[in-house]
Amino acid sequence: MAAEMALGTALAAIGAGVAVGFAALGSGIGQGIASSAAVGAVAEDSSMFAQGLVFTAIPETQAIYGFLIAILLLVFSGIMSGSPLSMTTGLVAIGAGAAVGFGGLGSGMGQGIASSAAVGAVVEEPSMFAQGLVFTAIPETQAIYGFLIAILLLVFGGILGA
Amino acid sequence: MVESITAILTSIGFPSPEAFIGLLFMVLAIIGAIIVVITFRPLMEYYPYTYPNARIRARIGSLFNSKQISEITETDSSEEMKNYLRGSKEYAKYIDKFNMEKALDTNLAETSDLLARVTPKTVKPVFEVMLKEWDIKNIKSVLIAKEAKLNEEETMDFLVPYGELKDIQDKLLDANNVQELIIALENTPYAKILEDALPDYNEKGTLLSLEAALDNYYYKELLTKSSSQEDDNTRMLHNYIGTKVDITNLKIILRAKADGLKYEEIHNYAISAGYQLREWKLKELMEAEDLNSVLSSIEGTVYGKIVSEHIPEFNQTNSIAPFEKALDQHERKVADNIFKKKPFGIGPIVGYLNKKEIEIKNLKVISRSKRVSGIPTSEIKDMLL
Repeated sequence: MAAEMALGTALAAIGAGVAVGFAALGSGIGQGIASSAAVGAVAEDSSMFAQGLVFTAIPETQAIYGFLIAILLLVFSGIMSGSPLSMTTGLVAIGAGAAVGFGGLGSGMGQGIASSAAVGAVVEEPSMFAQGLVFTAIPETQAIYGFLIAILLLVFGGILGA
Repeated sequence: MVESITAILTSIGFPSPEAFIGLLFMVLAIIGAIIVVITFRPLMEYYPYTYPNARIRARIGSLFNSKQISEITETDSSEEMKNYLRGSKEYAKYIDKFNMEKALDTNLAETSDLLARVTPKTVKPVFEVMLKEWDIKNIKSVLIAKEAKLNEEETMDFLVPYGELKDIQDKLLDANNVQELIIALENTPYAKILEDALPDYNEKGTLLSLEAALDNYYYKELLTKSSSQEDDNTRMLHNYIGTKVDITNLKIILRAKADGLKYEEIHNYAISAGYQLREWKLKELMEAEDLNSVLSSIEGTVYGKIVSEHIPEFNQTNSIAPFEKALDQHERKVADNIFKKKPFGIGPIVGYLNKKEIEIKNLKVISRSKRVSGIPTSEIKDMLL
């Protein structure tokens, strides 16, 4: 029984890793793409610094979602609190981590591409800022779906408030 | 619940839940790796273009729109046109430094220089060759200046401060004849090109032999360097370069045939390579009896429809200008299509390059027209691309 409990906690730890790892991977790639476009824009027009910074910061959110889920998993899986989870709950934790991790991976990369296009559009035509922001925000939805499902899994899977 | 899961796993052959979880992770890891590779491949193609494309898009925003071009056309004099260009970030830095033609060329050369520096490595060699256009232009300017017996100061007015030879421009200016120029160009590819063309120059006594040899080298290099089929971006760039070379050849042949020149008189001046128009087709076009035979021969090629639509206009005016304009518009269309098809790749670079070249051509047409008094604005507008 002790081995099974440790396994559940270990699975939750993997879930936390997947959550923050993949979400941060997507976010990092997205931000890399957005920031290289922003650097290019600022090299041509130094007044683009603020707008470039805004578009570069947008793909950060996926990593934040992943980080939040990972923290919740660490706190409630027994790694930080010392109360171990069952194997089934551990598998639920992996599901939660995968939801926010893979959701964030796709969303982050997509948002990075949209951000870089928006930077290009704004540096070409400054009045495009608002429209660029709207289009850049759209790929956020996939990360939100992943984040919501992860929260629901944590709540109803017996991890949060268990 | 744990017991029932364990029972199910045991019944399908797993000795323990740990073994099942291990297998599950392996399968998930393999699927994950495949997904990552599939997702990353297009991303890796796109990623190198994000920085250059942002810089290029900034410059696209600085291009004159049709309203501004119309305003420049409507200026009353060269001085007023200069004043207008002083208000543009792009041209202000050159307009008071150089004469109008040199200022416009320098601005375009600066664009070539930027592209040669910032473009991704898969397409960089093509843009490095494009920068050589300014070396070739400078060599041609020196040759013409020497022939016209201009002094160094006057010759400098035609030299653009860009390209690989910008540091040896003084040596070029010191040359008194073609032989000395060849010596000054030692260790560059241009020395051999000029040396090979020297017998033809000595025989005919026209600089055209030397100029054509330099152009031939430039366009062949462009075609060779752009022929890499690495990805969609390189293929599209090759398509654009190839179209440019074909159009240049068609213009040379159309002009030569309009002047009644024979194959022997043309073939040295046309580019001996093509994209859609292969060497045999170029030979066929150059061997054609007259302009009408050239037009019939072009009909079988991708440029047939573009040219044939303007035959009635040619019959009315007896000028090849409508064909030249249609071919330039086709080049613009090819560039626009690449811009739309590859907005995250080579598209903005090709689109901008073409737009910039057209803007410079138009500004030169306006500037030259302003120097000649009495040309109506409507006539200038008709000459614009």
